[in-house]
Amino acid sequence: MGLLQGATELFPVSSLGHAVLIPSLLKWSFKQSDPSFLPFLVLLHIGTATALLVLYRQEWVAIIRGFFTAAFRGQIQTDTERLAMLLLVGTIPAAILGVYLQTRIKSLFASPYAAAVFLVINGGLMITFELLRRRAERRAAVTASSRAEQEEQFAHAERISFRAAAIVGACQALAFLPGISRSGVTIGGGLLAGLRHREAARFSFLLATPTILGAGVVEIPQLFSSGVPIAEYVAAALLSGIAAYASARFLLRYFRSGRLDPYGFYCIAAGLVSLALLHFNL
Amino acid sequence: MKSTGLAIGLGVLGVVFLIIGVLYGFGVLQIAVSDTHSAHHYTHLILFVVLAVASFVAANFARPKGTVYVTDRPRR
Repeated sequence: MGLLQGATELFPVSSLGHAVLIPSLLKWSFKQSDPSFLPFLVLLHIGTATALLVLYRQEWVAIIRGFFTAAFRGQIQTDTERLAMLLLVGTIPAAILGVYLQTRIKSLFASPYAAAVFLVINGGLMITFELLRRRAERRAAVTASSRAEQEEQFAHAERISFRAAAIVGACQALAFLPGISRSGVTIGGGLLAGLRHREAARFSFLLATPTILGAGVVEIPQLFSSGVPIAEYVAAALLSGIAAYASARFLLRYFRSGRLDPYGFYCIAAGLVSLALLHFNL
Repeated sequence: MKSTGLAIGLGVLGVVFLIIGVLYGFGVLQIAVSDTHSAHHYTHLILFVVLAVASFVAANFARPKGTVYVTDRPRR
């Protein structure tokens, strides 16, 4: 579960959808309604967030410094300060929606069937994001010999508008639906805001860090409840962190010239196959 | 968009968020919480502290800066 969570959290394929579907399909014995499952998920998320913090450690130091400098000065003067404020603006809608809606939405749709259906919808969203992006490329009359050069014509994360950052941040709330990917919708939102793929992934990962870490840290007291096998859970969190680090490195390299639609096709196929397996009880 | 009125409004909003956060923290407020039996709602407390900080930062951004002192004294 640790490896699965770490790998799928950052890939645009929905970790929650896979966490609901795979145990059900493989007939794993644990129940998600079990009181010890929440602390388990908390530690896995902390593992993922720690991996992102390690990956962007220098950038986070600059962002935090830039945040305080700009906040006290009351003015944005550098790209890092702008990025810090964009991340704040993007995190707030996700935090509000997360605190007030997450539990209700998750309890409404926590069935493998719902996860499979939303996985298909997630695939459709990824493909739609790419189609809209291709239209933007045609409209901007981007002419370049290679995909990498073509990507260079689009913007850095620091250039996104504050309104776009807020919308992309709010889109993270869609990921409360099992099967809808947080990184998928934020990368897609970044693409629609005119970012190059790699920058959209970078912005998505930076935006995910405080959200995932915050969601994990507030649940830490649950870890100290009796009957939680801390050592096993910490081992799973370590595996989750390692998988998340490796997948983030892979994705940043992939998105230099790669697109979202292969993940879209994967989600549609995985969702349909899961629906069939669940329906025929295989 | 800079004005003293907007800055004051955002500052007041920040204070309101802080008060709401503290009320959630002490369990006085029980609005839209998942566990109504809990004495403290730290998640809501953290959320409202973040909102308060964001409001204070926005207030500082909205505050007019660089006051120009006008003098009628002739330059020498």
